Amino acid sequence: MKEQLQKVFRTVFEDNSLIISSTTSAKDIKMWDSLTHLQLIAEIEDEFKIKFSFEEVMMFNSVADILKTIENRDVQ
Amino acid sequence: MTFNSPSFFLFLFIVVTVNYLTPTSFRSKLLVFASFVFIGLYNFESLLTLLFLSSLNYYLAKKVVANRFFYVFTVALNVCAILLFNHFSTFNTGFGFSVFSAHFSTDKFFIALGLSFYSLQNIAYISEVRFGRMIPETNIINYFLYCSFFPKIISGPVMLPAEFFPQVEKTTITASELIMGFQRLLLGLFKKMVIADRLVAAVSSVFDFNSDYAGITTIAAAYLFTLQMYFDFSGYTDMALGIGKMLGYNLKENFDTPLRSTSVSEFWRRWHISLISFFTKYIYYPVVYKLREYRKAAALTGIAVTFIISGWWHRIGLTFFCWALCHVVYLSFELLTKRWRVKLSEKINKRLYQLFSVFIVFNLVCFSNIFFRAESFEKAIRLVKNAVGNFIPKNMLSGFVAPLAQGGHQIDEFNLFISIFLMVTVLLFERKINLVAKSAHLRIAYVVILLLLIMVFGVFNSGARFIYMQF
Repeated sequence: MKEQLQKVFRTVFEDNSLIISSTTSAKDIKMWDSLTHLQLIAEIEDEFKIKFSFEEVMMFNSVADILKTIENRDVQ
Repeated sequence: MTFNSPSFFLFLFIVVTVNYLTPTSFRSKLLVFASFVFIGLYNFESLLTLLFLSSLNYYLAKKVVANRFFYVFTVALNVCAILLFNHFSTFNTGFGFSVFSAHFSTDKFFIALGLSFYSLQNIAYISEVRFGRMIPETNIINYFLYCSFFPKIISGPVMLPAEFFPQVEKTTITASELIMGFQRLLLGLFKKMVIADRLVAAVSSVFDFNSDYAGITTIAAAYLFTLQMYFDFSGYTDMALGIGKMLGYNLKENFDTPLRSTSVSEFWRRWHISLISFFTKYIYYPVVYKLREYRKAAALTGIAVTFIISGWWHRIGLTFFCWALCHVVYLSFELLTKRWRVKLSEKINKRLYQLFSVFIVFNLVCFSNIFFRAESFEKAIRLVKNAVGNFIPKNMLSGFVAPLAQGGHQIDEFNLFISIFLMVTVLLFERKINLVAKSAHLRIAYVVILLLLIMVFGVFNSGARFIYMQF
């Protein structure tokens, strides 16, 4: 799942060398700010075939937040 | 009665002392009473408008959970209040009505003190309740305090419900908070009276009187206006936060050394933070979330909608529309070139890139502020034309020094020199100055130095209002 997410991060932030970990947050990626946040979310939704609620999107601040929400969806 | 008037200090001394000695359970009532007195002394119409709007929002909030119509109606009501207020203050239209023998009119100055700010707070509160993020407040006194709390009534900061309500029941005010609050108040007074008010004459001579100065003079005035606005508004915010602290409240920070920003998007994360947080949460993100399948086009639309609304919130008119448009263009450019700029920053010297970026961002902000400050669109265009043509005046003394160094009816280079010297010192060492304020050993020295600087270099009885008081 993390590899899949990494592929999305690399596409959105146009950086093929980008490596993410669960501790990666918006502070670690220069390209990740309010201007690109929803673009990232839309790509993740397409990749994983899920939809996030507005409240969930507002809480995402790190890779761990996103992974946790996707995992919860899989369980459901 | 504004924060830098002698009568306000007497009022503040009484309120802080009584609040400190009052049992916790009575403090909110006392502060509501003090806030009503503060607003009522400004003008009675302001107090009536606040009472009417905050009561209406308080009662309608109980209905918005179950009924979408009430939510839309209440938000529309607050938006209309802001638009009406802006319409009257923009076109100076008289608006009066009579109840029995009492006549109320807006001719005096503005229809309602702080309306644009507390209406945003009302919208935030109604939205939080509607979307289940908080339960409606059950104590109307607490709600009146949220809307009217006098340290933030003039020009914010805009406090979201979750940032304010938990503080109402706070039990203790420590001596340390009183001292820190007083220090912050002094810092704000220093910024306003020593720096911002000394720049008024220079800015005014180019923006309000002669429009045909040389390019270098016009550009210097545009620079000085941005600096004046920063010191005026951040000075006001320091005072608001300091007063809030002395009364046991932590109000939201509004500025984080914004003139050091290396991009316009960074600038908007560091300038008027409380307002932009509101717009980001309640306008930008909902718009972009709805349109997210369109990717970058969604973000571009979000930027345009947010800044056009922000321009209207400041004032309805072509000048503020152009100001907003400038920022839409800047931010759209930044979004579309972000990857390229990140790569560039990694290739060249980091320090050089930062300095260059700060210079560019400062100039872009100053350019947009020509529209913010100019009294009309025509005047703004004339100033822009002046800035790019006939750059150096024939006579530097009469064409450059004299208009910027005005003091009464004579040239006062000393005034300009002192303003610029103190301004540059504060800009360079702002973070260190804030650190000194926190040091227990240097507290007394900090207070004494600020008091001395205000006494010696402060502009007294200038009558200069806070710039953001008009919004």
